[in-house]
Amino acid sequence: MAAALQLPSYLDQSPEVAARFQRLRERPVALEVSGLTKTFETTRGTVTALSDVSFSVHKREFMCVIGPSGCGKSTLARVLAGLEAPTSGDVRVYGQPVSGPGPDRGMVFQSYTLFPWQTVKQNVMFGPLMAGASRNSAESEARQWIELVGLTKFENAYPQQLSGGMKQRVAIARALANQPRVLFMDEPFGALDAQTRCQMQSHLLDIWKNVDITIVFITHDLDEAVFLSDRILVLDPHPGRVREMIEVPVPRPRHNDQLFEPSFMAVRKHIDNLIHPPGQDHQKESPVLRLVARDPDVV
Amino acid sequence: MRPLASLFKGWFLIRRDLSSSRRLFLTAVSFILPLALWCFVSYVDWIWHPDIKLQLSSEREGNSTVFTAGDHISPGYYQEMVVATRAENTRLLASTPPPKSSKRANQKLLRQLAPVAISHDWLPYTEAQNDAVIYHLWRDIATGTKVPTDPALTPENLDIVKQNWAQLAPLAADFSLASLPETPLLKLIPQGLPANPVYLPAPHEVWRSGWRDFKATPPEGELSMTQRYQHSLRVILLGFFWACVIGVPIGILCGVFDFFSKLFEPFVDFFRYMPAPTFSTLLVAVLLAGDAPKIALVFIGTVFQMILVVSKTTRLLDPSLLEAAQTLGASPRQMLTRVVIPGILPNLYNDLRILLGWAWTWLVIAELIGVKSGLTEFIETQGRFRNFDRVFPVIILIGVTGFVTDQILSWLHGIIFPWTGRGNPIAQAFLRFLFWPFRQLSKLSDRAGTPT
Repeated sequence: MAAALQLPSYLDQSPEVAARFQRLRERPVALEVSGLTKTFETTRGTVTALSDVSFSVHKREFMCVIGPSGCGKSTLARVLAGLEAPTSGDVRVYGQPVSGPGPDRGMVFQSYTLFPWQTVKQNVMFGPLMAGASRNSAESEARQWIELVGLTKFENAYPQQLSGGMKQRVAIARALANQPRVLFMDEPFGALDAQTRCQMQSHLLDIWKNVDITIVFITHDLDEAVFLSDRILVLDPHPGRVREMIEVPVPRPRHNDQLFEPSFMAVRKHIDNLIHPPGQDHQKESPVLRLVARDPDVV
Repeated sequence: MRPLASLFKGWFLIRRDLSSSRRLFLTAVSFILPLALWCFVSYVDWIWHPDIKLQLSSEREGNSTVFTAGDHISPGYYQEMVVATRAENTRLLASTPPPKSSKRANQKLLRQLAPVAISHDWLPYTEAQNDAVIYHLWRDIATGTKVPTDPALTPENLDIVKQNWAQLAPLAADFSLASLPETPLLKLIPQGLPANPVYLPAPHEVWRSGWRDFKATPPEGELSMTQRYQHSLRVILLGFFWACVIGVPIGILCGVFDFFSKLFEPFVDFFRYMPAPTFSTLLVAVLLAGDAPKIALVFIGTVFQMILVVSKTTRLLDPSLLEAAQTLGASPRQMLTRVVIPGILPNLYNDLRILLGWAWTWLVIAELIGVKSGLTEFIETQGRFRNFDRVFPVIILIGVTGFVTDQILSWLHGIIFPWTGRGNPIAQAFLRFLFWPFRQLSKLSDRAGTPT
């Protein structure tokens, strides 16, 4: 890892990137979280999942939330979506306080949560129908979103017949069909294999480019976070609090080759150090279970 | 040898599925095996057969216990009967002048051949006392016009038939009780075969009795078997229907709202431990005779289990589906009608299938309360007469009904709920065809609702 020593600072931004962030900051605030605290009462006492979390996301921004397990990432997503009420603090979407789940905030879960009794098309039609659209208009609406995620051939299939990646695409189409102003994604690609996850990331960026939407993306995957986002919110565990908000200095449009660019590696390494402080891991020698003669080739 | 060897390989693999042909084979065997065992025990004499089943019986002097054809007795007693009857005949032949006998006694002796006639279908079993026909049967057997084969008469008994016929022959051709002689006839010697106890009739006997009972036109005022069957089905279906009408909505409400769960479930949980049959007298007192208390018993036996099972099924619905629906803007009412109900339907269907099986158990008890009715009354009556060959067909009928209904419902599951992955294309096409009118209607109503 000698090369890592010559990495630039993650704070260094090329002029284009800096200008882009400048423009981003001037956009209206889509999501504003201030002083958010969430505690749970358990039999073993009060557990603080989130403590005084504040940040804001601008219109059309792609923000990732990352942190080690137990930092309250999923709780944050659920509070933002309105599925859990915060203990204190508040969440505003374009200035409107959030008081419960609603169609203005879409949510994509790791577990797909497609309705198994409905076909792909019917799943995507669900939101518009709930909003009172007629069956015909909901259907034509759904067709567009299904086309956007590239599943036109499968519009009459049941979720059970689809692969994990396809299911998640349906879930995205279903969330977008409501035309939400902010889309929350809670580790949406966590259950997919590495290759499919890669494809889905590019695909998601394509969608984001074509749809007027602000995305808050929860993940525990460093590469995913850096690859996708404009800014990364790093959370500390126990209790979950904001560690740092990082501006990703990697220029857009993103593509897979950038994974080995110095700016990419720099920000990745920085976050890695935040989440896994150096000198804590890999110190313990694994216990010797069976004595064998040392093999010089196995180190 | 190789193909033969492969036939025996691979039947016992831990947690591996067998090939479909082997599965089919074993399914067939699972029915054939008990049947074969039953046949084996019934038709192979040396296995069990502790009794003698009388084919032909006679009354003995000074013995008040009367055995008739079809009765089971021990081999020792059978021997005793044979010896005693022979002795009576010998005494009769030896005495001069012949003792006088009542015509009534002779009539009884005449009817000794009735079981033989019935088993050959020379006489309908309802006419066992049609003496004129039996009289002519004596003639036919004595002259050899008719030869009994099942059971065949022993040479000894054939001889007796001939000797008796010598006395009976002079009677008028149009037989009447008054014309019977007063000289006693000879008694036929009891005949019998080794048999299993009366509670294990042989398959062919069960089949024959069942066939006869279901084909028979019942006497005035009694129900035919088909009517009894329909009556039983009516009771169970009505009881189950009302249980569904009450139990399913309450169960779903309990599964969805903690309010209803805490309001209803503790009491339901307590009530279901009170056996439904204990309410039978109460039900009869309140609902009087007739079908109402029976339907109520099936209802009580089913509904409380149903509430608990349905609420559990409802709670098993993945809660994240409800959260997803919420984030998509579904109102509480829409969550109930668009998510909860369609989401639990496949499991609910299976629950109801299993509960329908339980309802059959309650049916048997329900039919015994108040005025006995249906198939169970028949079982009860015939069982009391120890006519187990007539009881078994009814028991088997109930079993077959339950099994077949369940198989059909299970097959329909795949058609009704194609997303569960058990559907097949033919079934789905069938379903689409079935619901075509409804789809057209809903399209029409949509069009009407959209202003253009």
